Amino acid sequence: MNVIGYTAVVAQVALVVAGAPLLTGLMRQVRAKLEGRAGAGLIQPWRDVRKLLRKQPITPTGTGPAFRAAPALLVATAAVVAALIPLVSTQTPVRRHADLIVVVALLALGTVALALAGLDSGTAFGGMGSSREMTVAGLVEPTMLLAVFALSIPAGTTNLPAIVSGAIHDPTRLASPAGLLATAALAVAVLAEAGRIPVDNPATHLELTMIHEAMVLEYAGPDLALVELGSQMRLTVLLGLLTSLFAPWGIATSATWTALAIALVLFALKVAALGAVLAAAEVFWAKVRLFRVPELLAGSFLLALLAVTASYFLSGTGGGL
Amino acid sequence: MSEATFTQLLDLACGGFLLAAVIVLWRRELTAIIQVFALQGLALAAIPLLLGLHEHRADLVAVAAGIAALRAGLLPYLMRRALIASAPAEDRGRRHREGSDERRETQPVVNVAASLLTAAMLTLLAYAVAQPLVALDPTPATRALPVGLAVVLIGFFVLATRRRALAQVVGFLLLDNGITATAFLAASGVPLIVELGVSFDVLLAVLVLQILTTRMRTAFGTTDLDDLRELAD
Amino acid sequence: MTVEASALWLTAPVAVPLAVAAVYAIPRGRPLTPWAGLLSPAAIVAGAIALATVVRDAGPVRAYGQLLRADALTVWLLLAVGAVALLACAANPAYLAGEQAAGRAGSRTVRRYQALVHAFLAAMCAALLAANIGVMWVAIEATTIVTAFLVGHRRTRTSIEAAWKYVVICSAGIALALLGIVLLYYAARAAHVPEAQALDWTTLLAHADRLDPAVTRLAIALVILGFGAKAGLVPLHAWLPDAHSQAPAPVSALMSGVLLAVSFTALLRCKAIADQALGVGFTRALLIGIALLTLAVAVGLLLGQQDYKRMLAYSSMEHMSLIALGAAIGTELALAAALLHIAGHGLAKTVAFCSAGQVLQLHRSTRIDRVRGVLARTPALGAAFGLAVVALLGLPPFSLFASEVALARAGFAAGLGWPTGLALLLVLAAFAALAVRTGQLLLGPAPAGPTHPVPAATTAGGPAGGPPDAPMPDSPHESAAPDTDPADPGPARTARGAGLPLGLGLLACAVLGITTGPLADLLSDAAAIVSGS
Repeated sequence: MNVIGYTAVVAQVALVVAGAPLLTGLMRQVRAKLEGRAGAGLIQPWRDVRKLLRKQPITPTGTGPAFRAAPALLVATAAVVAALIPLVSTQTPVRRHADLIVVVALLALGTVALALAGLDSGTAFGGMGSSREMTVAGLVEPTMLLAVFALSIPAGTTNLPAIVSGAIHDPTRLASPAGLLATAALAVAVLAEAGRIPVDNPATHLELTMIHEAMVLEYAGPDLALVELGSQMRLTVLLGLLTSLFAPWGIATSATWTALAIALVLFALKVAALGAVLAAAEVFWAKVRLFRVPELLAGSFLLALLAVTASYFLSGTGGGL
Repeated sequence: MSEATFTQLLDLACGGFLLAAVIVLWRRELTAIIQVFALQGLALAAIPLLLGLHEHRADLVAVAAGIAALRAGLLPYLMRRALIASAPAEDRGRRHREGSDERRETQPVVNVAASLLTAAMLTLLAYAVAQPLVALDPTPATRALPVGLAVVLIGFFVLATRRRALAQVVGFLLLDNGITATAFLAASGVPLIVELGVSFDVLLAVLVLQILTTRMRTAFGTTDLDDLRELAD
Repeated sequence: MTVEASALWLTAPVAVPLAVAAVYAIPRGRPLTPWAGLLSPAAIVAGAIALATVVRDAGPVRAYGQLLRADALTVWLLLAVGAVALLACAANPAYLAGEQAAGRAGSRTVRRYQALVHAFLAAMCAALLAANIGVMWVAIEATTIVTAFLVGHRRTRTSIEAAWKYVVICSAGIALALLGIVLLYYAARAAHVPEAQALDWTTLLAHADRLDPAVTRLAIALVILGFGAKAGLVPLHAWLPDAHSQAPAPVSALMSGVLLAVSFTALLRCKAIADQALGVGFTRALLIGIALLTLAVAVGLLLGQQDYKRMLAYSSMEHMSLIALGAAIGTELALAAALLHIAGHGLAKTVAFCSAGQVLQLHRSTRIDRVRGVLARTPALGAAFGLAVVALLGLPPFSLFASEVALARAGFAAGLGWPTGLALLLVLAAFAALAVRTGQLLLGPAPAGPTHPVPAATTAGGPAGGPPDAPMPDSPHESAAPDTDPADPGPARTARGAGLPLGLGLLACAVLGITTGPLADLLSDAAAIVSGS
């Protein structure tokens, strides 16, 4: 069990690190095809990372440790989250620490590190981006907490592997109003957290609208490579979390090699499919005006809250909690 | 129908019912609001339908049909007509500027984000208030009572904060839907004569409000209730 | 009396006004005589008197199974409604003639107005006679719908605004009462009351001790808020001054005089159930709070009031809060006083609104500072308005004096000295405000015009009723001195005119203040019903 468990953890992290740029490449490719362009190919993000890593590291004068530590922290938190959450297996040696609150806090740590870096750079855009990012994060974090919390009520624990294995064994939990509301809320929160349309446009360099890009405007070379990789990993991890929670089928609940292999393949397929759907949807959506973003997020927060209350007062199973 | 399926479907109907109220709060387009309201009427009708099938009572199924006809058919139709009447023909040329304004809840007293958060608070309040109600007779139906109360509170909130005449009508109807849902969830509906009387009153009230909206449009040139400021101390 | 006869008398107060409304609603070549409108109040009064004898001899009566029911409380309120309706319907022809003369109303408008007024009367009687509190709610909501068009009758900007606020606030407010009733029904069903009777008032009262206290508490709080909205109590009172000041005068009289009381009766009935289930403490605390707040709001707005119709509307709030205080005290004496207050206030307010309506038709303004010197210009009308305000101030010999004194006594006797004292202080402030404003309106010389009756008044009166002006020899001092004989108010001498109802109303109010006569038993029975003893 231990060998398989450790292998699962390593596989999760490796797959996320290696697959994140590929996912981004896939999404760009889908988008390009839908828009009638040829596209740059699946592995273009990897080529970008390789190119950036070869460049000379440069930091703007006057920036402090926050600026320098942020890219590494971003990648590190994403990697730890990738190890913790049950992406391919619920039977991992770290499953006892895979608490919902830890996961959300780790993601928030990455967000805060990047926001501090944006402030640290001392430029107008950096500050603006950080301030916007924090506005969004202030609404996204509680939404994510609440949405997953709604699912944790029937399971009776905030431990993610327990929630996931519970859902695998009792799929009606997901079809309940609480499950549906939580899915909707978490989906919006994931879009916001990953900086996708309709909250933020990852491809924009238009000052008035950008959020994430404004914070990282001062980065160059290997630091920029890390920031890019970190963001891509976060997107992958968040989509993975979404699939684990709401489409958990195929995740290994027993410690066998075949289950693990099937889970790995299925995980890659599910995330790729979700990413493709998201990319296709983004072609048709417009970015919401910045001032309407809190509205959208407040709505998703409300959905999450309704999910929690619904799983309390409708199912009755949460009565004892 | 097995107990578990019944509970599951009832919960689904209640979830949809509450969700519709929230979406009314979220949207600004009056046409969209009216559509959502009609969907909520269907979710509401599903509650007595499920109860009727579960308790083997044909009268409840008939009541469900009546409710669907009134709240998902007739009332939305009346409101749609009032909406069309409030952007009359002579405005069509200028609809881009003014006519479209008439169809939107442009500036609610409380902005949408804040009202969504308020709705969250109201739901929690409804849950707290409904505790003794659920405790009296805990069944799958009474456990969903907070949903009815939450919709009542949200209806009141819409009524208090929206400035378009029609949006206020929707608020009033949300309030009424919430009460009807509460009645079904608590005691499988009030006696038929009361149910009929209440439905009739609601229909008449909406008709009265529709006529008043038209008159308001004639007298004030708009249905923005902010213009109703002549009577005050 | 046989069962059929009592069923007939139970039906008449609802059916006759409905029939009259239908007759008015059907288009016809020649307009119906305006006096046909007196048929429905006559039916209501006759029904009330007939029921009074039945109820005295045989206790509560029912008809059509669970549908209609009358006890002493119903009869008392029916009498009040009948009396006020009689006055208001008698004032209708003069009002309509005035409107037609001023070119504000065609024959269609008149027909619709009359049909709505009678439908309104029918709805009020149905609310009083309903045995089922759900049906009672339906009837009260129906009054809102019917009166909405009466409030917005004139289609001016202000009246549309008032009608909108009225419908939205009242409908939403009493929707809360419906929620409360639904919860009561839930509690009753949980207490194993059969479905058909679970909203029947007598059954609920009999099973009240088995109702779940927590659910009943929530239910009664909602009912008090909801019916309180329709009765003009805070926090949902904002519609009242607008609607009462914009509605045509006879409709204002009906709304202020009895509609508030009818909806308060609904509240009283639900309170009786809750008191059985919870003890008096909860509803008492709630009602005292609401009554004092309403009183404070009304007094605060009365102090600076510049509009005499709104002034009367706020005075209605003041009196409703006194009635609510009586209900809060809850002893038999207090409730008898509150019921007497309902009747006295209904009569006096009807006279006040009807005469204010005539002042408005003559002077075309509701601003006190633009009207001034009414007494000098139209002495009889001024006297009627003045005496009505004197009655509303609670001065003897009018019945409001008796009921206010009884209320105060009951309050102190029940150990509620503080709230009662506070209420008395506030009433004193209202007294001052009302007296000063009315003085400004009535006294003083007629500005820049003839000191003798204005000729314009005669033309505005129209054919149906000459305005009570020229032949009145009464001196202006009559209204300033409240203890002159109220049995001889000037306007009573115009035989067909609008003066007669005003005089009759004042007379009835004064007589009720001196002795309740044969009604004394009825009053104490009615009070006993809601005090739960």
